Amino acid sequence: MTPTAITTSAELSDFLRQNERVHVLGNGSKTALHRTANGAALADLSTLCGVLEYEPSEYTITIGAGTPVSHVSAALAEKGQYLPFDPLLADRATIGGTVAANLSGSRRFRYGGIRDFILGARVVDGLGRAFRVGGKVVKNAAGFDLSKFLVGSLGRYAIMTELTFKVFPDAPRFRSLRLDYPTLPDLLAAISFIKQSVFELDALDFTPAAGGWSLMARLAGSSATLPPRVERFTQTMQRESAPTDISEQEDTATLWDPLHRLTGDAIVKVVLPPRQIPEFDTKVADLRRRYSIGGNLAWLATDDVTGLDTSLRRLGLRGLCLLGAVESALIGAPLENELAARVKSVLDPQGKLV
Amino acid sequence: MNHPFLQVLETIYPAERLLTRDVELLPYESDGLTAFQSKPGAVVLPVDEEEIIATVRLCHQHEMPFLARGSGTSLSGGSLPIPDGLVIALNRLNRIKRIDPQQRIAVVEPGVINLHITEAAQPYNLYYAPDPSSQSICTIGGNIAFNSGGAHCLKYGMTSNHVLGMKVVLADGTVTQFGSESIEGVGIGPDLIGLFVGSEGLFGIALEITLRLMPQPELYRTVLAAYDDLGAAGDAVSLVVASGLLPGAIEIMDRLAIKAAEASVKAGYPDAEALLIVELEGEAPQVEAEFAQLQGIIEASGAFEMRVARSEEERARIWKGRKGAFSAVGRLSPDFIVQDGVVPRGRLGEALMAIDKLKTKYRLDVANVFHAGDGNLHPLILYDGREAGALERAEALAGEILALCVSLGGSITGEHGIGMEKRDYMPTMFSEEEIDIMQALRRAIDPMEIANRGKMFPGGDAPALKQHGLHPLERQGVISRE
Repeated sequence: MTPTAITTSAELSDFLRQNERVHVLGNGSKTALHRTANGAALADLSTLCGVLEYEPSEYTITIGAGTPVSHVSAALAEKGQYLPFDPLLADRATIGGTVAANLSGSRRFRYGGIRDFILGARVVDGLGRAFRVGGKVVKNAAGFDLSKFLVGSLGRYAIMTELTFKVFPDAPRFRSLRLDYPTLPDLLAAISFIKQSVFELDALDFTPAAGGWSLMARLAGSSATLPPRVERFTQTMQRESAPTDISEQEDTATLWDPLHRLTGDAIVKVVLPPRQIPEFDTKVADLRRRYSIGGNLAWLATDDVTGLDTSLRRLGLRGLCLLGAVESALIGAPLENELAARVKSVLDPQGKLV
Repeated sequence: MNHPFLQVLETIYPAERLLTRDVELLPYESDGLTAFQSKPGAVVLPVDEEEIIATVRLCHQHEMPFLARGSGTSLSGGSLPIPDGLVIALNRLNRIKRIDPQQRIAVVEPGVINLHITEAAQPYNLYYAPDPSSQSICTIGGNIAFNSGGAHCLKYGMTSNHVLGMKVVLADGTVTQFGSESIEGVGIGPDLIGLFVGSEGLFGIALEITLRLMPQPELYRTVLAAYDDLGAAGDAVSLVVASGLLPGAIEIMDRLAIKAAEASVKAGYPDAEALLIVELEGEAPQVEAEFAQLQGIIEASGAFEMRVARSEEERARIWKGRKGAFSAVGRLSPDFIVQDGVVPRGRLGEALMAIDKLKTKYRLDVANVFHAGDGNLHPLILYDGREAGALERAEALAGEILALCVSLGGSITGEHGIGMEKRDYMPTMFSEEEIDIMQALRRAIDPMEIANRGKMFPGGDAPALKQHGLHPLERQGVISRE
């Protein structure tokens, strides 16, 4: 089916009233998420593009849902600010798709995820009703917070047309360090230590590496204070593993893209309580993988989605396939929830949004 | 006589945990918004989640309105009892089930006091970040219902940002769980935590909560600056923000609030028109460098005095006056109303000037304390309830302030919630359709609208207020009008 370009919220309302089943597309960057579309009318929201309001001094920005993430980041960077949840697939995703799929990058470790920075949205629900949720100021406790609810909702409850976020000043300088450990338990012990220490890291990821495991830590700060902080971190950590400064050796953009080295039929996000890592890792030992945000999230590449689905179910974990030709993007423990079902019955009683 | 509701309650609760006598009910008649009072039909004191679930199911079965209550510190009347309804007091569910320093989480029951979590986490160099001024008495269950904030929200957010997982009983007795022990929380699928937190007790009761703990900052640097003009203090906030610094807290107090704090806790504040408190926190080398920058900004902003907290005691003293400001106002005036509207930070000055004009119009004093970093005002409107018409004037003034916040592009509440107090102002912020959708959502979860009935939505539709004839507990034989 050919996507219909949507240029206004009113057009989207009409589109929803005229069609039986509707599936939303931004830039289509997360291929695995569009399998449910089959036969549904496609609403192309990449046309709802642009920064609508940006007040650097308010730490807030309002943008069309179809705006490319790169466009938003560039506008913010001009004023020394950034989206602290660190949108994933920053080179090709739209901001709406990023929110709907709840995809944060490694820097989410420092201040929080999308749910922590979304302030409000304009939406159109399954009945074609256009309305606002949340607010436009950094603090607001009025009414039910449906804007947070929509984070990760995969376009199945209401379609976001406009989004407001809280933003922060970004640091001018960064350093990336690599720490090598012979085994996973050694690395996890180091992470435990870091998490109860005074170090405020910008990002903390780890991967299996030749002959063991590599921990990657990123520090952010000013040019004056970063060197002493890096020095202190290095001193403190080197008893177990001498950190290597890899800021110069590697392209930091790819270094901190958690999906960079992952190739396979499907790329999967798994929400992971850190204490489950040792057991989880034995189940995915033959997969390419990266643990992100201090070991609270795993990114996996697999050619056997069915096998991974079974493993995740046994562990009581959930996965979301982003990329690949999979049958269902949602794998692992079932997502069905009674509270979510009640919201669906109000926002999309006819089940139009797929 | 047929007393089915009371009789079944008696099968769950022994007499000492089922309160029905007037004298026992009295402490539950009002909350932090003392201008309102309302008498519940009965109060139950469950000790575990099974009792809560059984009670909610019973209420659903008998169409009995209920209010889940912690310490009753709501400033919006959110924990005001439903007249003749049931109060489910959760204070005895006060166990911290687990502190897991490796995962940096705490698993707690709803009746746990906010500050107790930080105390339990302290041995691991961790703390629970949201710090409402009432943190030494308010409970996590109440913080969740109202998405409570505090002085340190700008950097790390409100309660909702610190909840990772929950087990809840919905108002119709359905028990459901969402979230995880990962800092991603829900992570995949709609963020049900975001929806439940801040729902003001209208969806149900949180039974068990998994909270994110934060590492204690290595260093705090707190500065107190005195200004002879409130506007200059506001301008200083803009300068701080424009500098690229991200303070943990930015607070302002005006002359009247300073006077109150002095009278009450003797914080030793300078005699000034306005005080600005800015606090930086983080790794020592970073904070030291940023603090030098901050001092430069404040010096240039026209402060006539600047004090730097040199020790934890000095820091505590600076905060003591600020955190005690609300109760301190009680020393200046027999009664007061506190509002918590939000305006865009850049329009704070405009808002304060407008409030100043309203003071004259309504012949009332207003003390201003605010979380300047996030534009969250806290005008304390002083009145004497014994004076005829004073409460009405104070409420009218409060209403104008809320309308002002909305017209400046803000919100009618930053952290206290709508509750009982701001129901009628919902339409200033939301369209009829938006309110209809929220109400439909509520009914999809609570078809009989028994959970905290009468709160959040504009008054006319609150079933509790339409009650005619015998009230529910009377009908059930729990109480009588002898």
